Amino acid sequence: MDILTSLMDGFAVALTPTNIALAIFGCFVGTLIGALPGLGPVNGVAILIPVAFAMKLEPGSALIMLSCIYYGCMYGGRISSIMLNIPGDEPAIMTTLDGYPMAKKGKAAQALGISAMASFVGATVATIGLTFFAPLLAKAAIYFGPADYFALYVMAFATIGGVAGVNPIKTLIAAMIGLMLASVGLDPATGTARFTFGSYHLYDGFDPIVSIVGLFAISEVIMYFEREANGGADQAVPLNKGLPKIREMFAGFSASLRGSFIGFICGVLPGAGASLGAFVSYSVEKQVSDQDGTFGTGDPRGIAAPEAGNNAASGGALIPMLTLGVPGSGTTAVMLALLISLNIQPGPLLFERQPEIVWGLIASLYLANVVLLVMNVPMVGLFTRLLSLPQWLLMPVVIMVSFIGIYSISHSPFDLLVMIGFGVLGYVLRKLDISLVPVVLGLLLGADMENNLRRALSISGGDFAILFQSWIALVIYAFTALMLALTLAMARRRPKRETI
Amino acid sequence: MTDRIVGLLILAISITVLVVARGYEVGFGDPLGPAVFPQMVAVLAAILSLGMIFRPDPDPDWYRGTVRSKQLATLAVLIGYVVLLEPLGFSLSTTIATALLAVLFGAEIRKSIVAGVCVGGCLYLIFDSVLGLPLPLAPAFMG
Repeated sequence: MDILTSLMDGFAVALTPTNIALAIFGCFVGTLIGALPGLGPVNGVAILIPVAFAMKLEPGSALIMLSCIYYGCMYGGRISSIMLNIPGDEPAIMTTLDGYPMAKKGKAAQALGISAMASFVGATVATIGLTFFAPLLAKAAIYFGPADYFALYVMAFATIGGVAGVNPIKTLIAAMIGLMLASVGLDPATGTARFTFGSYHLYDGFDPIVSIVGLFAISEVIMYFEREANGGADQAVPLNKGLPKIREMFAGFSASLRGSFIGFICGVLPGAGASLGAFVSYSVEKQVSDQDGTFGTGDPRGIAAPEAGNNAASGGALIPMLTLGVPGSGTTAVMLALLISLNIQPGPLLFERQPEIVWGLIASLYLANVVLLVMNVPMVGLFTRLLSLPQWLLMPVVIMVSFIGIYSISHSPFDLLVMIGFGVLGYVLRKLDISLVPVVLGLLLGADMENNLRRALSISGGDFAILFQSWIALVIYAFTALMLALTLAMARRRPKRETI
Repeated sequence: MTDRIVGLLILAISITVLVVARGYEVGFGDPLGPAVFPQMVAVLAAILSLGMIFRPDPDPDWYRGTVRSKQLATLAVLIGYVVLLEPLGFSLSTTIATALLAVLFGAEIRKSIVAGVCVGGCLYLIFDSVLGLPLPLAPAFMG
């Protein structure tokens, strides 16, 4: 029952007038960013983190606003999938399969209504799961020693690309690139300047936020011209008049429930995340209910299942991120960057030391779900109109906001140049089908991974055997091996697609 | 081919890391020191880079012509913006950069100038007045 008490305390934090206002603002801005074609949740949250700093919010409030932006982006992403057939991010790909055909049939409003409902169901199931499972995992994680944490990081890197990556070797290389970049700067333990090549600017290393905005947003801008040359954007399907009826929105309700549970489990698994959640939910739903071959032609259940799965998985992915400090996907990696930049160290101790932040966050996610559902159904017309915003206006504004945001953190033009550099790096990696998420993870987790390794070895006096002496570490390594085997099996079966 | 070149580059970087890290000293009570972890990563990266060198994927489509020039021009505008941000002041540099980017993204000249002025002005107002971020307002030579 103390979970419910904590949750009530959390609602007390989330339901202050300021925080409610921030939550509504976050949901609105998030949906807006999610709806804009080409800008996924990763970009949205990354660009707005510096803006949240600029507003000088308390850590708790900043966290609430940015998680609402995150959830809002997930909601908004379905709008461009359904209306334009352009998924905002990888998990949204599955929504285009039935969403776009349904919109083409003149049922765009219904498709958007169904997906809003399914997103709500998925996200709510995941938030309930988060409420009950996260504290349990946090309790278990208290027993983790440095060697166990090291094992955990090894697992994070070995499995992350796994399901998302096309070529497993390239995914692992991406992780190594991230870890190498993470070691640039002053070594905290000895004060040695590592790989700084004598430049004082590099003593602090690479700021994760600067790198993330560069890797994702700037590379997206460079990529844009190629996509334009490849035929450019499709015309948006016109939105039919009138709100969808309540009954219509419940079409495929059972499909969203099934999708939610599958998605949630996928989200909790390390390295799987929302893409897998949406993918598996859609495939399972197709197996279960596609008797007359209507899937792919605008079946409501084909919209509901992946949308619920996608949202449930992104909620589930918060569990390993909050309790262990190990994110499983691109968006949770950005959330981790956000926590770190707010000086909040995720991990089991977070639940003991700063319960108001964790529970405030969880309560605000419940709030965000409701706000998003209420906001999305009547206002969907406004959001769809944004799709016709010209790219020549949108892209420069996005670039300028990210530049000012980064500049406002440090007032250093050098950071902006670093960001452009990361943009070029991100572009080259994407061209080579090397996923960017492991690079970000490496950058974020590198320092902790090294610290835990060094701590473990200073306990053992330099004997590497300590890494394999605790049963927790051994279980993690065994699980890692299992996931790697699964990954290799999946990599053979799944078709090649664009890396994000 | 591209895979091979990048693989070789990663291999070269890994070897550089291994060599450079040898100079880092071990501290007291810290048997590993600052060198070992980067070296472990470098060794793994080197091994993995062999995978890219010997089993490369097919080449990606590199664009030439207009697309390539637009990409390079965008980068040039961004770098120019950063260099000129403090000397020219925020509003002026943002106005110029936004207008140039708008042209690159396919706007007519007149529209892009209007967009530049609006974006430069609005962002300055939002960030400086509403959010209270001190941004360099005037060009440096004007004091």
